Amino acid sequence: MAFRSIAAIGSLVFLLFVSSSQAQTLRVGMTTTDLPTTGGIPDNGSEGGRFAGYTMYDALVNWDFTKVDKSADLTPGLATEWKVDPADPQTWIFTIRQGVKFHDGSVLTADDIIWNFDRHLNDKAPNYDRAQAGSYRNYTSQVDKYWKIDDTHIALHTKVPYSVLPYMISRVFIVSPTQYRKIGNWLDFQANPSGTGPFKVEKINPHVSIDLVRNDDYWDKTRIPKLKKLILMPIPDANTRVAALRSGQVDWIEYPAPDSIPSLKAAGFQVVTKPYPHVWAWQYNTTEKSAFHDKRVRLALNYALDRDGMVELLGGTAKPSIGFYDKESKYFGKPSVIFNYDPEKAKALLKEAGYGPGGKKLDITVQLPTAGSGNMVPLPMGEVVQQNLRDVGVNLTYEVVDWGTMLSSLRQPPGAPNTPHRDGIAHGLPLGDPTNFYNEFTSMAFAPSGSNWSLYKNEKVDELSRKAFETFDPAERDRLIAEAHTIVVDDAAWLFVVHDLNPRALGKNVVGFVQAQSWYQDFTQLTVKD
Amino acid sequence: MSVISSQEGRLSGRNPPPVVVSPGYWKGVVRRVSRDRVTLICGAILLVMLLIILFAPLLAPFDPLQGSTGRRLKPVGWQGHLLGTDELGRDMLSRLMYGGRYSWFLGIAPVVVAFLIGGGLGITAGFAGGKVNMLIMRATDVFYAFPSVLLAVAISGALGPGIFNAILALTLVFIPPMIRVSESVTTSVRNLDYVEAARATGAGSRRLVRVHVLPNVLGPIFVYATTLVSVSMILASGLSFLGLGVKPPEAEWGLMLNTLRTAIYTQPLLATLPGVCIFTTSVCFNLLSDGLRSAMDVRA
Amino acid sequence: MLLYIVRRVAYAIPIALLVSLVCFMLVHIAPGDPIDSIVPPDTPKEAVEQVRREYGLDKPLPVQFAVWLSHVVQGDLGRSIASRRPIAGDLMLASGKTFVLAVTAATIGFSLGVALGSLAAFFQGTWIDRLCVGFAVAGVSVPHYWLGMVMVIIFSVLLAALPAMGAGPSDWVWDWVHIRFLILPAITLSVIPAGLITRTVRGTVIEILNQDFITTLRGKGIRRSGLLLHVVKNAAPTVLAVMGLQFGYLMGGSILVESVFSWPGTGMMLNNAIFRRDIPVIQGATLVLAMFFVLLNLIVDLVQTAIDPRMRRT
Repeated sequence: MAFRSIAAIGSLVFLLFVSSSQAQTLRVGMTTTDLPTTGGIPDNGSEGGRFAGYTMYDALVNWDFTKVDKSADLTPGLATEWKVDPADPQTWIFTIRQGVKFHDGSVLTADDIIWNFDRHLNDKAPNYDRAQAGSYRNYTSQVDKYWKIDDTHIALHTKVPYSVLPYMISRVFIVSPTQYRKIGNWLDFQANPSGTGPFKVEKINPHVSIDLVRNDDYWDKTRIPKLKKLILMPIPDANTRVAALRSGQVDWIEYPAPDSIPSLKAAGFQVVTKPYPHVWAWQYNTTEKSAFHDKRVRLALNYALDRDGMVELLGGTAKPSIGFYDKESKYFGKPSVIFNYDPEKAKALLKEAGYGPGGKKLDITVQLPTAGSGNMVPLPMGEVVQQNLRDVGVNLTYEVVDWGTMLSSLRQPPGAPNTPHRDGIAHGLPLGDPTNFYNEFTSMAFAPSGSNWSLYKNEKVDELSRKAFETFDPAERDRLIAEAHTIVVDDAAWLFVVHDLNPRALGKNVVGFVQAQSWYQDFTQLTVKD
Repeated sequence: MSVISSQEGRLSGRNPPPVVVSPGYWKGVVRRVSRDRVTLICGAILLVMLLIILFAPLLAPFDPLQGSTGRRLKPVGWQGHLLGTDELGRDMLSRLMYGGRYSWFLGIAPVVVAFLIGGGLGITAGFAGGKVNMLIMRATDVFYAFPSVLLAVAISGALGPGIFNAILALTLVFIPPMIRVSESVTTSVRNLDYVEAARATGAGSRRLVRVHVLPNVLGPIFVYATTLVSVSMILASGLSFLGLGVKPPEAEWGLMLNTLRTAIYTQPLLATLPGVCIFTTSVCFNLLSDGLRSAMDVRA
Repeated sequence: MLLYIVRRVAYAIPIALLVSLVCFMLVHIAPGDPIDSIVPPDTPKEAVEQVRREYGLDKPLPVQFAVWLSHVVQGDLGRSIASRRPIAGDLMLASGKTFVLAVTAATIGFSLGVALGSLAAFFQGTWIDRLCVGFAVAGVSVPHYWLGMVMVIIFSVLLAALPAMGAGPSDWVWDWVHIRFLILPAITLSVIPAGLITRTVRGTVIEILNQDFITTLRGKGIRRSGLLLHVVKNAAPTVLAVMGLQFGYLMGGSILVESVFSWPGTGMMLNNAIFRRDIPVIQGATLVLAMFFVLLNLIVDLVQTAIDPRMRRT
């Protein structure tokens, strides 16, 4: 008895000790141009989700960060389990986790989940988020009906049988209706948000930082943060991020400038890299208005690109990409074309298409962001592409814009009203779950409701994808996607450039971070030493 | 970047005593300049730079746009690249030569245009006086209510990036001070006794302007314009640095400074070279205009 | 004097109106339909039409200007396209940060300028003079954003002594935690005014020293301190005027320094807005800064006249 109480006191003292000396503050330099929006519909791409999504909120299904040796997959979030209604493959039943509290103290109910879907999908509901719902259509567009079954169950109904629904709704963050009612509108909600996540908002300093503190009441006891505070700052310029890290202003930066990595390592900083599902590519405008309507031109550019040179520019923090998926991915398939660096072949293909000496001159305009989540170092990368294309006689002009502007351009497909002509948009993007493929390459996902800005349409790809998303057998689904991906590569649907290796640099004081193979990362398990 | 203000402060408060161009005047100017070593050296440096950038296509050892990531960020003297290579493996020396063309052009073109437009309006205002003067000068006051950098950034920001827009924005920035200076110089010349006398004898306006006013006002206005060149050059490189001026892959010093930031960790010398170029040019223009001012005895 | 003040203030009003007209026109010189400049591209059609009506964009330009001005007068500068938030609030916060930076840079630049300028004037023609003038020329010729970058490399990256970016945690407080953030940007920004004030003070003081009455005073064997007093009295109006304008330029011209140091003031707001083609923010920030400048010009004029009535502007 005495021993046990001594042990208890001992562990208590130990805990106190740990919390006072180790569980301190982590300051992060993000690549975003501004603070991601904090009201549960984070903008700034997947990095917005990484920092203003899974830190403060949960979705019905979350991402699992514990298995770091393979690509991250789903894990129960605010739903403890989910299944497809045996009677109807279009109806999904989610069991809502009980006893979860929002940061404002209110308790999560099934009604709250419905209310959150109203925010995204029901333009008649008083809480419909007119300003932001459109930007999350990617994650909600397959749901056409939803209802409460009982106090612990809700149902989501999809437009067509859609086996990857859980992936798709993993970015629908659940926010507190109680807090919203207190505040009354979504704009002000962003300044005082309330979710269920492992961190809660202490203060939001517009354009400067999001200050988060540990949520001691987090429902997943294994993921109560060891940190006391997490401070997130937008630092869009890669060199400034490095300077901020080296001056001791932040403990962690996303994407250090590749050229700075050797000097960072020499100065004792930890630089971590890991493959994750990402591709930096051009979405071609495949409509008749653009030269890329011609498959030969699309192929030619893929052969004109010196991907190894690009990797050299990036100091080895990337690997060449010869498809949407990496060639080691289960989704890669067996394309008949392998894009190697072959300028002669590129010239020949262009000549066939009527361009080059004796033919038309090929002038193209492509939009390029200055920075942003997953965009790596777009400007120098863009210049390398420009040079490679110059070598094969293609004159490339960039329309350089801010990342936010580029995201809205992606919602304006070629031919949309008031849209200037573009032959492509260059950027880095996630391919973390099967829905990405569907969203980028099928005609069912034409922008603006999907991400297929290219308006790329191939009947075979459409059909295979549709089948893949209708089948509930994972192995069969993987096979179908791989088959569709094979066509996408053979068709040179995009200009594939590189896969990023997700470099980040951490101070010596950051302990216990294990990088997951995901766009999202877990900030609950690491600590910062004084 | 706000150099305009000081000259303006001194010029608009009190009118400088005008210079009366006498037959031996220009000889005197030349003599005074030839004795001023600093001005001569600055002039020589600028002349050499001008020749280099004019003949860049003949002098540049490499194509300024042709790079290869295999030879990026090489040090000074590497395999014939006298000043090394930039972040995309392009020859630094060639890029600095070609870059000077844009930087000089962006520095001088707005001043020249502003000289023509602003000088014209200012002389008109000063010579005509009355309502015309009032109209022109009040309009000028409005643009004076904007800090120069702000005006340049706001205009080129609204117009969008591009060389033409940058020149347009800078020209608009320089027209008002040019008007003020030329108006004040013209007014004081107009009020000079002998001009008054010529007017009294019935000389026509056109003749008055050509024979009496222009020769006496152009000098001071020209000197003032030269002081603006260095301001314009720094402002222009700043606009390019912000991404509002010249677009990659073209070379321009301000833009090169920005894109070479990444090289600071591996080749710090390379990263500072465009800055050295801008600085040298700007210092030389400043000292040259100082020298000209005292040689031409313009108290401005 | 009172009449002069009234007249001078009355003159500032049409200027202010015309300045706001220039800012108003920014939206209209932007290429394309002005409505596309003030609403996000993916705004639903009905919402676009609502904004068009609200701002009278279907009416002739003078009416639009009146409508816009009435919004502005009520403190409504519109909404940012990027963040969808009202601009006025963000601009207030940012102006405060820019003000802190400008005041500090002005203090450094002006004290340095006055010191070096007087030094140069009193030792005219000696090596001290040449050194000070050299500094002044360098100060106005250096691309200061580049100087900022070099300082970051030295003080933040190599020495890890001062922060590289930002204005410190949360709101501005004058404590060491925050002042550390201010040092590098303020020094960078102070270089130009330091150079200019050095030149102005040197020129003005030399002019005064060469004036007859000073020569007379000197001949009478007046003490150095007495001489100094005369110089200060006579140089003050010109120097103050230049300083006043310089302060205005610092407030409105800190965009490059703020961008290099990510100082969250109006300059950085403008820089971000330019990249996002967020025209309402460009317009709002320009308007506020220009209005500040108009006000400052007015104050400088009045103060100058109060010190030396001969300086009256007609």
